[in-house]
Amino acid sequence: MDLSIPLSILCAMAWGIQAVFLKIAMRDITLYGAILITLMINWLIVIVLIALASEKGFSEFHHLPGSTYLFFMMAGVLNYFLGRRFYYSSFRFIGVAQATAISATYPILSVGFAILCLTEKLALRQYFGVVLTLAGVYLLILKGKK
Amino acid sequence: MSRFRGQFEAILASLSFGTAPIFAKKGLLSGLHPLSGMAIAILTGLLVNIIFVFFAGEWKKLLLSKRQGFLFSLIAGGCNTVAVVTYFWAMAIGKVALVVPITCIYPLFTVVAVLAFLRKSETLDTWTVIGTILIIVGIILTV
Repeated sequence: MDLSIPLSILCAMAWGIQAVFLKIAMRDITLYGAILITLMINWLIVIVLIALASEKGFSEFHHLPGSTYLFFMMAGVLNYFLGRRFYYSSFRFIGVAQATAISATYPILSVGFAILCLTEKLALRQYFGVVLTLAGVYLLILKGKK
Repeated sequence: MSRFRGQFEAILASLSFGTAPIFAKKGLLSGLHPLSGMAIAILTGLLVNIIFVFFAGEWKKLLLSKRQGFLFSLIAGGCNTVAVVTYFWAMAIGKVALVVPITCIYPLFTVVAVLAFLRKSETLDTWTVIGTILIIVGIILTV
């Protein structure tokens, strides 16, 4: 079997389950404390992986143009600070299953961006997917309980 | 009101998660290894958070946190890292058309984990389960 399939399933499991552990953690720790600890773990493991697995290792960082740093710093603020801040914070007000499902809709935003800014065209299947996703969000927001 | 705030924050999280890859993709055009790019992005998020914790006086509350809070945050951080690493690994050896739709099913695992660990504190109603399934199917069709 293609190894990428069990890896993808493991990824989905780990990503899905972490939300529940966070919810339990946030009974005894502040929002920013939880973000701080998860980011520290992420960073330490990524640094170890670069040292072990990356061919160029840390030398890659020496010759990078400033714009590349800037792009990744923007991505970092959006994903690892703002994204996590809002995602983790939403657990305090709504159920973790509802918060995870709503925040999982971000690929639809990328599609919207591609249509509006890049004037890309969608296949019929993709339009159907957008409608289904929006219907799911509608059900969660207007019908789902806390 | 608090329910609306939670839903609004989840949408804002989705917006942040959705726009971040645009910048990451631009950064990767330089030929940088994705792990190195991720290290820069995570370090930036970490530093901004440390600055925020320090200036907002959050560190005092952090010091008062219970050990269990730290423990579960560590477990969540571990799960999170497993997710990120397996995602990149799967992308490196597999087809994007296969990996992306499979990883999109993660809200289903959250539902299962809620049933397993949070049954006493969280109720899962039919609409939440149906809505979650619609979102997953919708995303799989779109990506």
